Amino acid sequence: MPAERAGYTVTMFLVDVSKSMGAIRSVPLPPGPNGEERSAKMTHLQHALQYVKFKIQTMIYEGRKTDQCGITIFGTEGTDNQINAANGGYEHVTEYIPIAQPTAVTLKKLDQLEPSDDYGDPIDAIIVGVESQNKYLGKKTWTRKVVLVTDGEGPIELEDWEATAQKMNELNIGFTVVGVDFDDEDYGYIQKEKLHIKRVNEEFLVKEFVPAINGAIAGNLDRVIEQVSLPDVKLSRSTLMKSVLRIGDVDARAEEAMEILIKTSKCTAFSRPKAFKKFAYRPKTAEELEAEQRAMEANENFEKTVTFAQLKARTEYFIDLRAHKEEEEEDIKVEENEDEDERRSLDKVEKEQLIKGFKYGTSYVPCPEGQFQRLPTKQGIDLIGFIPEKKFRREFSMGEIQYIWGNPDNASAQCALSSMVQAMYEKGVLAVARWVTADGRDPKMGIMSPALFEQVHCLLWAPMPFADDVRKYTFPSLTELTNKKGETLTEHPYLPTEEQLEAMDEFVDAMDLMVAGDKDEEGNRAEWFDPRDSYNPSFHRLKQAMFHCAIVADLDTNPLPPPNPELLKYFNPPRKMVKKAQGAIDNCVKVLNVKHVPKMAKVARKDGHSHAQDDDDEPLLLDRKPSTSKPSQAQSQVKIEPKPASIPADDGSETEDSDTEMLLDKVEPPRKPNVLPTPARSLSPSSNRNDNDDDDNAMDVDPQRDFGRLIGRSYPLNDFKDNLKRGDLVSKAVEDMCVVIKEIVLAPFASRRSKEMLECMTELRDVCLKEDEIDAWNAFLPDIKSKCLHSTPGNKEFWSEVQGTGRPLGLISDKEAKECGGSSEITEAEATKFLK
Amino acid sequence: MAPYDDWNKYDNEEDEELQDDSFFDAKKDVILVCIDCSSSMLQVRDDPENEGEKTSHLFAALNTAMQLQKRKVITGPNDSFGIFLFNTSRKADSSRTQVSELKQNTFLYQPPGPISAPTIQQLIELLNGGPEGLLEEFPPSNQVPLADVFTGCNWVIRDGAPKTATKRVFLITDEDNPHPGRGSEQMITAAKNVFDDLLKLGVMVEPFFIQTDDKTFNVNQFYSSVMQHTPLDDEDEDGGLNEAVSIARIEDLLAQMKFREITKRALFSVPFELAKGLTIGVKGYGLVTEQKKGEYKYFVDLGDRLEPAVIKTTLLDEDRQAEIDKSTYVYGMAAVGANTSTNDDDIEEEGIAPTKIVKPGQRPFYTPEEMKSFRTLGLEPGFKLLGFKPRKELKFEDNVKHSLFIYPDENTYSGSKRTFTALLKSMAKKKVIALALGLVRRNATPTIYAVLPQEEDREEMEPGGFHIIPMPFADDIRSAPVEEGFIASDELKDAARQWINKMTIKSGYVPDSYPNPALAYHYEQLEASAFQEPYDADEFEDLTEPNVDMIHKKAGPLLKQWKLDLLDDHSATYVSPITGSKRKADAAVDVRDVMSKFKAGALSKFKVDELKV
Repeated sequence: MPAERAGYTVTMFLVDVSKSMGAIRSVPLPPGPNGEERSAKMTHLQHALQYVKFKIQTMIYEGRKTDQCGITIFGTEGTDNQINAANGGYEHVTEYIPIAQPTAVTLKKLDQLEPSDDYGDPIDAIIVGVESQNKYLGKKTWTRKVVLVTDGEGPIELEDWEATAQKMNELNIGFTVVGVDFDDEDYGYIQKEKLHIKRVNEEFLVKEFVPAINGAIAGNLDRVIEQVSLPDVKLSRSTLMKSVLRIGDVDARAEEAMEILIKTSKCTAFSRPKAFKKFAYRPKTAEELEAEQRAMEANENFEKTVTFAQLKARTEYFIDLRAHKEEEEEDIKVEENEDEDERRSLDKVEKEQLIKGFKYGTSYVPCPEGQFQRLPTKQGIDLIGFIPEKKFRREFSMGEIQYIWGNPDNASAQCALSSMVQAMYEKGVLAVARWVTADGRDPKMGIMSPALFEQVHCLLWAPMPFADDVRKYTFPSLTELTNKKGETLTEHPYLPTEEQLEAMDEFVDAMDLMVAGDKDEEGNRAEWFDPRDSYNPSFHRLKQAMFHCAIVADLDTNPLPPPNPELLKYFNPPRKMVKKAQGAIDNCVKVLNVKHVPKMAKVARKDGHSHAQDDDDEPLLLDRKPSTSKPSQAQSQVKIEPKPASIPADDGSETEDSDTEMLLDKVEPPRKPNVLPTPARSLSPSSNRNDNDDDDNAMDVDPQRDFGRLIGRSYPLNDFKDNLKRGDLVSKAVEDMCVVIKEIVLAPFASRRSKEMLECMTELRDVCLKEDEIDAWNAFLPDIKSKCLHSTPGNKEFWSEVQGTGRPLGLISDKEAKECGGSSEITEAEATKFLK
Repeated sequence: MAPYDDWNKYDNEEDEELQDDSFFDAKKDVILVCIDCSSSMLQVRDDPENEGEKTSHLFAALNTAMQLQKRKVITGPNDSFGIFLFNTSRKADSSRTQVSELKQNTFLYQPPGPISAPTIQQLIELLNGGPEGLLEEFPPSNQVPLADVFTGCNWVIRDGAPKTATKRVFLITDEDNPHPGRGSEQMITAAKNVFDDLLKLGVMVEPFFIQTDDKTFNVNQFYSSVMQHTPLDDEDEDGGLNEAVSIARIEDLLAQMKFREITKRALFSVPFELAKGLTIGVKGYGLVTEQKKGEYKYFVDLGDRLEPAVIKTTLLDEDRQAEIDKSTYVYGMAAVGANTSTNDDDIEEEGIAPTKIVKPGQRPFYTPEEMKSFRTLGLEPGFKLLGFKPRKELKFEDNVKHSLFIYPDENTYSGSKRTFTALLKSMAKKKVIALALGLVRRNATPTIYAVLPQEEDREEMEPGGFHIIPMPFADDIRSAPVEEGFIASDELKDAARQWINKMTIKSGYVPDSYPNPALAYHYEQLEASAFQEPYDADEFEDLTEPNVDMIHKKAGPLLKQWKLDLLDDHSATYVSPITGSKRKADAAVDVRDVMSKFKAGALSKFKVDELKV
């Protein structure tokens, strides 16, 4: 319908509450979690009220003071309306809710409606409704709407209705009849076993009364409910803004320059959902609790209440003098609660004391106006030139699109623009232009594209990036790989093979959306997906949620129903298409052989967002793990083994303190003193991290995981445990753990991590025993023993620590193995001897 | 410009997606420019750009470093910058306390630190001395072992860079073989070892090799062995010699640096499901994003200096003046109209916090988790391919936001690169786009994206990958408010075509030609203020203004003719409004042919729409 002036409307809902409305019906509900069909039993009235409530919810959501409604019910046992009060008659009609902007109370009152034991005449209700609407509006030219909701099973006075219809036409009332179980051939609903009285009434309302009123419509309740619960796209038109399109120097060389008067309006504009308000539970004060207590004592029916308060933002300004204090107080550092420390050093400042300014690096530049002198610009669009259409880079389009029209009041302007648009279209060019929306505003660059409608020509504007808006990053080539010698490679796991390319070609052909939509009348398949049919799922879901919580008191007993399937219709490719394409898909899966690489160290972030991994993540390709015997291209380039970082001043001092001092010059001392970092992990505070504690730091620490390894040198125990938790790749984890322990133990400064390494070994042994990796352990232990004792520099101290731990770190004997269901070739005696 | 308070509010309430970016902004960038001062770098030459002027490689390199610092004020005001020189016998000033004793013949001109007006001015002053001045300032020395240069970088960065920062060394040299002859093997090994140490510390080295007509630069002489050129196992960001090594003429140094001045940071890393059972990993980057003027900040004048004010925004229950802990927020509709106790209007006027009162045990509001699930509809971050359409189906007007760029991520799914490349090649060949459903982050909203293939173009430095363009939803499409107008005659169209022919820019739209004048104007004034220099607004040049001289020279007479034709044109056909064009108004959702949509069952749909009242 034509976009109408929002608001300025009074809608009268006339709701039938007659006895027959109390009949029970079964209403289908959205399918349950397992797709089972569900339905609810409710009265006709409850069903009908769903429609009324939905309309009213929309009004509440929009929150316009000028969008009002009144509710009149008929079929009530009593009578309460203005006409009856003045002149009598019009019985069983009750003005239930007077005309006003609806609130949650309105909805609550609707919920209290019950079917009566009586009947009322809808025509009476119409007359009452129209009268009170007319009285309320007086001479105001608001939009008048009347909606009648009835099952048509009560008696209707079928005489003299023409006067009513005429009156309604005079008042230009938009009239709608929503009938419970009314026949609707289009909708495919014909009620079987219709009561005679209903047949007569329905016939009258739909075939006689409605046609007599201009623009009136009638519809079946089910169908109407189905329609209103569809996501509602508001067709809003944008305001036309005045501007001018300039070509050439209009000031100095006017006769050779052109100014076209134009109007602009939005063509796309991103709709955001209304913001939810934030609330918080308000604890009761002592007085309130006391008052509550007294009230309960006085009245045993007194109900306790809980209050939630809407929150409001408060902005305060402080200056932080800590930075300077720190210098002075460096020597007298006292253990302090951080909060307290903060409070002490932050001085509150009033907003009036503040000066606006800008930062230039570390320098501050006051600028009391909050901005420097603005670029002097003149309103209008300046044409810069034309570019070939095929040079247009679609991905540069930065934002919302605008229409540019020749001024609708100026024929010459329209002609001028039309001639330009046609010429551009014919030549296949787009225009480059610079737009200033108002004098003194910052200019924007953009591209204008010709658009030829049947009856009007215009330009479409897309904003383009300035030089400053484009980020130039380099990316490695996807198609050209060179090896170390500078030779170009033609075969590599990163490069698709002929077979893979063909499989992909087939896949792309099979997934053609142009013939994946519904069939039209001639049986041709239409294309699938049209932005004009795609509802913003978040927007409508949030709106639905907002509606819902506005009317229910408890979300636990009355949770939000699932989203309308219409919102999810583009969440998956069309099923039929996928079914047909399955062969091509299966082939792609097979020949492309993509494998998920399990995530190694859990780097959980507090904010829970899925940010990109840190850029210093080591590449890890499990399908080319270096431990396999097959050498591959990539393997030859596995990073070299770690070597002692060449950090100066190694005077052989092994005491923990001096090392820390030396290596962590400006780094804060580790929080947990028992474990000190080695050079390989120089900036990490601790290895005994629990998952919630140091996650933020984890981001900055290279896990020191070598190419193809599951276990890194930074947090081997954590990596190991994480991997086992997931249960896959146990052998690989054990294998890598053995290697990593050896590396760390034999690296310089290892003594600082020996405790950690013993923990690692304890865990490793335990896992080996339980996961049937006994041989791995029994091979590892002699190996590390010999490396510790016989290699240079070795680590004799560490081995003696292992010895000190004794049997819990010894070889796994046959006896132990048996208890865990495994086997070992080592006897208990051998195991004991080994540690001596 | 919106005052600061509003800005804050917008951020908090309207678009929670925006908050996410702060994470990236918070990560600091440290750049240490490391410049060779050998005699060939210092050699004074004629400036090819400015006639009569002299230059040298070092002069140009320092000049570029200065430009880069100025640019950083805009693009990364919190970043740190330093300048380190080698192959110079200049001695460190004894007054300066350098934490680590640097190797011989290296000199730390500017320790890494936040960018500031005085340091830039100091550099400008140095440059004012011209290339000859540099010869005196930094006399050349013998070739320093490259290992010592890297060790120097290592120490300098360790002393001066925040630990969480991204650390990079921009190495500028024109010597492709610093250690020829005997012992070169050892020099290479030594340099390589220190280079690896740098990598381990998370320091990336980005070389800018300078070549001239007389002296070409051969990477394989020395550097490819040191900065091991390992395109196969290096996932573009983990270090190593960067894939696209910059070997350029000194004049192009700034342009080359622009490619690297901002650390390449992925906005997201998510799976991309092409079909059930076929999922690859991709990383997303923002290649076009509006660069805004920095917002003004609030300062307190302490007499001797300005101190920035710390702004704290808290939410509170106004009645109680109690700050509320973020973890206890719940969400609902504005309490107006929901308050069952009294008349809401009065309450609002009194400035008392609106409340909602319920019975104990009832829960009238949503939790943050529920809010998140409404927003995402339960989707996890990632893309899901929906199918393909011809390229031309992506309309000019189907746009609401800037695009993003995706590139395969082999680290999450092995085989991603070959699959991605196969898809890219196939789509480019068939001239199709894909449609994909995507959720780029956990708190983002599901969006349908057009996936536009871009084949690699080495000449233009355009990488291979996909642009992903958010499609508008029906909710975002506005109807056309003008339905009819005068249509120009063919004669007039031909007249227009004449001057249009003369105004063609063949290269297309090249953003580099159009620096944002408002931004430049702002920063020039800011810079002048910071340098305490007067600002001459008349000298400002706005490169986005149309070149009217050229227009008049080429198309002036044709424009004049077109104007005359327009005045004489009586044949303009006015299409009178057709009554009953209501259907068009109804569906005038956008510029496409309205009829097509309504061909099938138009009337029934129409009727149904009206039933909505």
